[in-house]
Amino acid sequence: MPERASEHAQTNRAYWDRTSDEYQQRHREFIGRPEPRWGVWQIRESELDVLGEIDGKDVLELGCGAAHWSILLAKQGARPVGLDNSARQLEHARERLAEAGVDFPLVHASAEDIPLPDQSFDVVFCDHGGFTFADPYKVVPEAARLLWPGGLLAFSHSSPFVAVCEGEDERVHPALTRDYFGLHEQDHGDVVTYELPYGEWIRLFRSNGFIVEDLIEPRPEPDATSTYWDDEEREWARRWPSESIWKARKAA
Amino acid sequence: MSHADDALKNREVWTKANAEYTDRRARQAWAQEEIDWGMFSGPESEIGALGEVGGRDVIELGCGTAYFGAWLAKRGARVTGVDVTPAQLETARRMQEEFDLHFPLIEASAEEVPLPDASFDLAVSEYGASIWCDPDRWIGEAARLLRPGGRLVFLCNSPLSILCAPDEGKVEERLLRPYTDFGRMEWPGEDEGVNYHLPHGEMIRVLGEKGFVVEALHERLAPDSTTDHEYYDFVPAEWARRWPAEEVWVARKSV
Repeated sequence: MPERASEHAQTNRAYWDRTSDEYQQRHREFIGRPEPRWGVWQIRESELDVLGEIDGKDVLELGCGAAHWSILLAKQGARPVGLDNSARQLEHARERLAEAGVDFPLVHASAEDIPLPDQSFDVVFCDHGGFTFADPYKVVPEAARLLWPGGLLAFSHSSPFVAVCEGEDERVHPALTRDYFGLHEQDHGDVVTYELPYGEWIRLFRSNGFIVEDLIEPRPEPDATSTYWDDEEREWARRWPSESIWKARKAA
Repeated sequence: MSHADDALKNREVWTKANAEYTDRRARQAWAQEEIDWGMFSGPESEIGALGEVGGRDVIELGCGTAYFGAWLAKRGARVTGVDVTPAQLETARRMQEEFDLHFPLIEASAEEVPLPDASFDLAVSEYGASIWCDPDRWIGEAARLLRPGGRLVFLCNSPLSILCAPDEGKVEERLLRPYTDFGRMEWPGEDEGVNYHLPHGEMIRVLGEKGFVVEALHERLAPDSTTDHEYYDFVPAEWARRWPAEEVWVARKSV
């Protein structure tokens, strides 16, 4: 990690190095299925069509974990690069790449400070990764720098409503428990996460030269299951927006 | 219910509201110098949603007593007001005489405006068409009425406040209704009409489909000094100091 890495990037690196094995064991089967899927409810990309045609494109995944997503995109003809802040997560990724028989670069760095050249990607994306565990005020400018004009930024994130409705038990409830205004950094002690209000995301995209293309708020099916949320929380997610998938285009 | 039936129902609601509140409030609103938005008076000087209005052709969609249009006319805009409720337009005309500030007022639904294409630089709505008309229709009309590069600015209730709104009574500090209720909403209270609310993702999609690029979403925090609104009291000030009660969208018609 470069010396300029922020304190929270170091905290989150330690957190993911420590919890990576348990995380992969718990979720590997659920998120490792053979077609790209988004988020807590693993809704198919073929249904949501977030990334569009990916064949032949240079794609950067921010917070790739074990690189399930990038492996599937590589099989569809993309040239992915997987970035993660945790060395242990990238060890899992290397194993998965070897199993899948694909090869692409894996970069060990925080999404806040990416050691890659300007204008080198057609798509920068993540699925609950670099925009949750790194500061969006640093990641969005990095995405703008790394994309070609006309390039696509797309990522999933917990919705701001989740941040407002999360109780002390770290589960969602109907009660509004946290203030909406000023949502940004949330320090859980062992890990730091980031949230922004809807309007603040839009302001951040615009101020970095992005055009807002879409905001998809996916809804789980009535019988959906997840290794992240339980059935009671699914009922919440059936009623209220639990995830945001933002699409923004770097102005040509 | 057809859109025409909804418009008639909303006309009834606003005829009554005009008799109870907006008519007696009109003089004070017209006399105000500062432009502000919504129940909790978000100052335009702080939000900066409208841009320069002097010399611009402006249409106010769902103008009510046209105080918002009057604020823009005072700044040199060429304003046209559109509203579906004759009683409110009558109040607006009386204010025009009183303040000697005249601009066209047209009785029509913002879903079907009898004016030519590409004739305005700015379309505004403050709790007008922005909640009382079908977004698919009124935003389409705004796109038609604006020139390329023209700006659409409107204020509506935040989705969060609608999710926390009971059928009758004040907004609570918990989610009460699912967002699948959104779209056309018919409220059961006797003074309630038909209005429209969308999740943020849907609003972005409708704006995009009608040819707009989203420029900003200003979610408004009510200042500490805010007190409950004397008439529109369904959102307590205390609630609005913690969560967004209202929001201003800014979108630009693609060139």
